Amino acid sequence: MSKSKSMWRRLILIVAVIVVVIAVVGWWHLFRKVPVTFASDEDHFKYGSIGIEETNGVPYWLWLVMPRIFPEKLPGAGGYASLGVVWEEGQEMPVGFTKTTIGIPRVGVNCAACHTTAVRKSPTDKPQLILGGPSHQFDIQAYQRFLIACAKDPDFTADRILKELQYVYKFSFFERVLYRYVIIPFTKRGLLAQEKQFAWMNLRPDWGPGRTDMNPFKLMVLKLDDDRSVGNTDMMAIWNERKHEGFLRHSDGLDPVLIEASISAALATGATAKSINIPAVQRVNQWLMDLPSPKYPFPVDTKLAAAGEVIFDRDCASCHAFGSARVGKLIPLSEIGTDPNRTKHWTTHAAEEFNRQFDKYSWGFDRFQGNTGGYVALALDGVWARAPYLHNGSVPTLQDLLTPAENRPKTFFRGNDVYDPLSVGFVTNAPSRGGRDFSRFDTALPGNGNAGHVYGTTLPPKDKTALIEYLKTF
Amino acid sequence: MSQSRKKTTRNLLLFVTGFALLVVYFQWPFISNGVVDYDDIGDHFKYGSIGSEPANGIPYWIWKALPELFADKLPGKGYASLGFIQEAGHDRPVGFSMRRVLIDRVSLNCGVCHTGSVRESSGAAPRIVVGMPANTMDLEGYTRFLMECAKDERFTVDRMMEAIEKVGGHLGFIDRLVYRYAAIPQTKAGLLATAARLTFIDRQPDWGPGRVDTFNPYKALQFNFPMEKLPDEEIVGTVDLPSIWQQRQREGMQLHWDGDNSSVEERNKSAALGAGVTPATIDLPRIKRIEDWLLDTTPPEYPFPIDQTLEKQGEPVYREHCANCHGESGRKLAGKYVGQVVPVEEVGTDRHRLDSYTYELLENQNTLYAGYPWRFSKFRKTNGYANMPLDGLWLRAPYLHNGSVPTLRDLLNAPEDRPKSFYRGNDVLDRNNMGFVSSMPELDGRRFFRFDTSLPGNSAAGHRYGITLKPAEKNALIEFLKTF
Repeated sequence: MSKSKSMWRRLILIVAVIVVVIAVVGWWHLFRKVPVTFASDEDHFKYGSIGIEETNGVPYWLWLVMPRIFPEKLPGAGGYASLGVVWEEGQEMPVGFTKTTIGIPRVGVNCAACHTTAVRKSPTDKPQLILGGPSHQFDIQAYQRFLIACAKDPDFTADRILKELQYVYKFSFFERVLYRYVIIPFTKRGLLAQEKQFAWMNLRPDWGPGRTDMNPFKLMVLKLDDDRSVGNTDMMAIWNERKHEGFLRHSDGLDPVLIEASISAALATGATAKSINIPAVQRVNQWLMDLPSPKYPFPVDTKLAAAGEVIFDRDCASCHAFGSARVGKLIPLSEIGTDPNRTKHWTTHAAEEFNRQFDKYSWGFDRFQGNTGGYVALALDGVWARAPYLHNGSVPTLQDLLTPAENRPKTFFRGNDVYDPLSVGFVTNAPSRGGRDFSRFDTALPGNGNAGHVYGTTLPPKDKTALIEYLKTF
Repeated sequence: MSQSRKKTTRNLLLFVTGFALLVVYFQWPFISNGVVDYDDIGDHFKYGSIGSEPANGIPYWIWKALPELFADKLPGKGYASLGFIQEAGHDRPVGFSMRRVLIDRVSLNCGVCHTGSVRESSGAAPRIVVGMPANTMDLEGYTRFLMECAKDERFTVDRMMEAIEKVGGHLGFIDRLVYRYAAIPQTKAGLLATAARLTFIDRQPDWGPGRVDTFNPYKALQFNFPMEKLPDEEIVGTVDLPSIWQQRQREGMQLHWDGDNSSVEERNKSAALGAGVTPATIDLPRIKRIEDWLLDTTPPEYPFPIDQTLEKQGEPVYREHCANCHGESGRKLAGKYVGQVVPVEEVGTDRHRLDSYTYELLENQNTLYAGYPWRFSKFRKTNGYANMPLDGLWLRAPYLHNGSVPTLRDLLNAPEDRPKSFYRGNDVLDRNNMGFVSSMPELDGRRFFRFDTSLPGNSAAGHRYGITLKPAEKNALIEFLKTF
């Protein structure tokens, strides 16, 4: 009797020990957070986490081999590079991609994914990276779709993935078990769930490289009903923020405060109110204050530029020069005449929801506004690196922008980082380069209209040439 | 009491045995691993394993039987007919290593591309030189042979077992089972999978002996790039195999023909991938042994008389026209521009190799060896070709990065006067012109490879340095270069 009692006690003890061990090991491999910090602000911008990995991180080892297992789901050769993802020489992660350990190493994106411009002087040149510029070459929608397409593939199995990984990294026995029975199945499930969350994308024109949509704010952060509106918009430059203080943010001016725009963007990129790393976002914001815009990388004809300055001061400065009356402010749609979809998309209702839904957080929003009825006149610092132009990226070059709307290109290709110094913009007539297929931009699709902003289109040709030369110096 | 203790002991024993069995079960592939090791460093270089067998090894008896079963797919008898060096007393040619991964497997090592053969005359015995470019061996021919075998309908379990028996593989019961049900079908499937990734080599001119495309197979095999998408401009990257002596002095120089990496160690790990290792299976200690040895290993001296007077006259010519880019001598490699890249527009040589190494490939290379401290981080995209030191120059013909100029004398001629086509693969020295004999299509029944400089990647243009020297100066310069 007493013997059986002590046996029971022993059994309970053993079970308890096993449970604790499993709990500790499980916590270690699934939830343990190892913060990664970067000494320099620049590296923090490029590689630092803003807090999206916990909810939307892809396990690093899976992320690494997915392009090798499913290359046919990418727009060409080069793995993630075929999506316009860019690595610096020597770096393990691409710019804008984070690797942090939450139990296991996970990959997320940060601000730099959408705000780093790649520029090549020629097709055989290597790209220069301009931090803070729009990622005109990166197709973030195609990236998201690639991850989902992999998960949907019948080959997305533990067997197949571990077979690929066996020659990449030597896993311990425990890691193999963990990946086989937990990480891989859960990743698959997570990505399949995202397919449903992102289903709205399939009802709208593709973003293409260098563009994004405001719908993630409305449908995924605020969980509003889908009104079928199109919010496609060109990624923006975020340098020189000190000079932009007081400017309305986003192309339709939906908020005048930088930090609100930054935090909301992080939420729309996949961070949750719980996971977002506010100090990390603040650090980026602080660094952006004095981040300079890039110098034009080709020679400039200074005499011609001087002639162009006169034209700029006469015809453009009132809206586009720092310190001018209208810069950073709204120009009504009736006046500017550009594609109306984006400004109609962001409603007062959405703005109010933003201001309300995050009230309980210290960083909650107060200044969102909707139905602004127009687009913001932007300052033109580093304008040469901000092609294609207009809020929806519908006009490939400055030359095209100074052409009457009906003569602007109806279709062109986005994603090429080879620069065209004659027209001032990126090369847009090549359907592919280096084995990567570019994305065809069709101005006839909803949200893609290239009409409006007719200023300067009637200038004499030599004035246009001079004006463009001057704009290179911005 | 004693009863319960007995029970406990029995349980414990049961548990321990079970656990031991489990460990053995899971660790078996490692426990059973065995490498053929060599005491002599030269033998280790030529025949030792660097860890390419687990992922890319061919089961020994299949490898032995292939030339028997598919004799019609080889230019002559056995692997030696592809130009591999067969030393007496060795079962495998130079460059073929062996390691047991459940069963013995054969794969490649550093020696395959960096061991060459030289002969004084057609009748003489070949001298095997480690560290020199493998001037006779046709790596593409070997690759194609394996792929063609796998595609052939004769590659069946029954016929392979028969051929294995024929070449002396009297397998025991277990081995028969392993070969029949695992090794043979898996090898066939593996080779077919590789073949599917390598179809792009049909878009390239034949490499011929002594040449390799480094980075296009890399794109296909390491990263599974859809090669059919790649444009013609980057699909030909074929280059001459380099010599690998005196690595200590090369540390910090821009290595590889286009100077894309300046770390000897990282370049070595990259080359090892080309031989078939993987980041998870690379045998670092055995590679380290080779690396250490290569640091200060020097090339053999030129074995024939050198005209002292002429050589003395050649030295100032060299100092004036060559030394800045090519180094002080064959033992002192430093120089103002040695190991630095000259833009392709300036050097003017064929640009295919430069363009085959793309920034997109570099981006992916950054992830190789991820998870290890030696993850690749030193690759750079350049805009030209690196100035090479000239140690052991007499063993390094044909010249230029693509091996498009057969002799030094030809290299000192204007590009338009260099041979439009010539033959590669002959190991008989052309002492007068400094190179290998390149005019003979055939010798002793062995057919050489006709190299056509008009094909993509094969241009003999550029490097116009020294072409305007007087004939006497050229003679003297060539004599001086024999001392390297």
